[in-house]
Amino acid sequence: TRQCSPELADDDDGSAMSRRYDKVVTTFSPEGRLHQVEYAVEAINNAGTAVGILATDGVVMAGEKQKVTKLLEAPKSSEKIYKLDEHVATVVAGLTADATILIDAARVAAQRYAYQYGEPIPVEQLVERVCNHKQLYTQYGGQRPFGVKFLFAGYDRHFGYQLYLSDPSGTYSGWRATCIGQNANAGQSLLKNDYKGTETTSECVTLALKVLHKTMESLSAENLDLFALRKLDDGTMVHTVFPHDEVVALVADVKKELEAAEAEAAAAIATSSGK
Amino acid sequence: MSILEHNGAAIIAMAGKDCVAIAADTRMGLRQQTVATDFEKVFKMTDSVFVGLAGLATDVQTLRNTLKFRLALYALREEREIKPDAFAALVSHMLYEKRFGPYFVEPIVAGLKPDGPFLCGMDLLGAPVFTEDFVVAGTCTENLHGMAESMWRPDMSPDELFETVSQCLLSSVDRDAMSGWGAVVHILTPTGVTSKKLKGRMD
Repeated sequence: TRQCSPELADDDDGSAMSRRYDKVVTTFSPEGRLHQVEYAVEAINNAGTAVGILATDGVVMAGEKQKVTKLLEAPKSSEKIYKLDEHVATVVAGLTADATILIDAARVAAQRYAYQYGEPIPVEQLVERVCNHKQLYTQYGGQRPFGVKFLFAGYDRHFGYQLYLSDPSGTYSGWRATCIGQNANAGQSLLKNDYKGTETTSECVTLALKVLHKTMESLSAENLDLFALRKLDDGTMVHTVFPHDEVVALVADVKKELEAAEAEAAAAIATSSGK
Repeated sequence: MSILEHNGAAIIAMAGKDCVAIAADTRMGLRQQTVATDFEKVFKMTDSVFVGLAGLATDVQTLRNTLKFRLALYALREEREIKPDAFAALVSHMLYEKRFGPYFVEPIVAGLKPDGPFLCGMDLLGAPVFTEDFVVAGTCTENLHGMAESMWRPDMSPDELFETVSQCLLSSVDRDAMSGWGAVVHILTPTGVTSKKLKGRMD
């Protein structure tokens, strides 16, 4: 038998090969993958869940916060939800430190556009600028990619309310409802089943909480942030980070609704199996 | 004619008791030819900070846009509105950055702090002067200074302040060819801002 050298080793699972091509982000692996980018996504898969849903009259976003302990001085503003401009906000999943760099860059980009063109930056333009910035770190400089995924919620006069998702590779996509972070798949499947596309903002708030109920260990107002972006009749954009008391009430309502549905389902099974 | 007098302006800000007024004419001309009679020279930065920009119209508008840019980022980063003294420092800094190719603008900052009115005037290079009574800028500053010096008194109420500022401005611009053609007054109080247009000579 011939001793196979590592380069020629069978690499169906990629693990042997990936070790040779994952140290430097600016190198493709033989299978055509950028391992550093994939590892960045892994970092995000362990981060607090975030969900975004398009309503007919607004956009709703929610995020699971890190474990809150008594000794931690609660930040005045959210660690998950950030305002980028009057008409755009974002929710973060991943490394917060990486996120704040990109958020600041996004804010400056939005102001520069407004300075140049005298109107608010179209939402997709802003997303693209952030993504192009992320892409630089997959092709130049030898620096690692940003370990963040964003959900961007915004409104502009071109396309109305919009929701976008962006990942460490610099790819972005438009969504009607989506989920990122821990247990995102579970959240996504719930959205696939339950999201109709005709919901109002308040109905989407309930749906967002249902998603987090599914993805989080235990849904509670203490470790989540809830947000809605809406345009008023006079054109002003309103960013609402729901106050704690309201979230407590909403969470209670959602839990009651889900318990009632579970009880109904259990009763239906009991009667059908009893026959 | 100096470049600062090309378009024409008259701006005055005055302090009252827990209130501040800032007023300006609304003429914009090209030397002696009047072009616009609704040209904005006083801009709201926050509920408690207003800025009046006298001088070359293009720089007035550019500075207004750059200040809007800077303030938006300030509010997003600091998660609060900028205070009058910090704003004045910002304007002064921005002007001095262009020390050897300046903006031809002489700004007036008028604001309300928790403990009372804030007034600041600057030259085109950003040298600030802080006063307790009034600041003036524009093409008829001699007139404005004379009127304000004789008419100002301490602790005026918002209504008294409005009357005083308006009379100072209207009388001053009437003796200046480059300013006038309409005027606007803003009165800032802790409860809100009132803005009024003045009826004056349209010449």
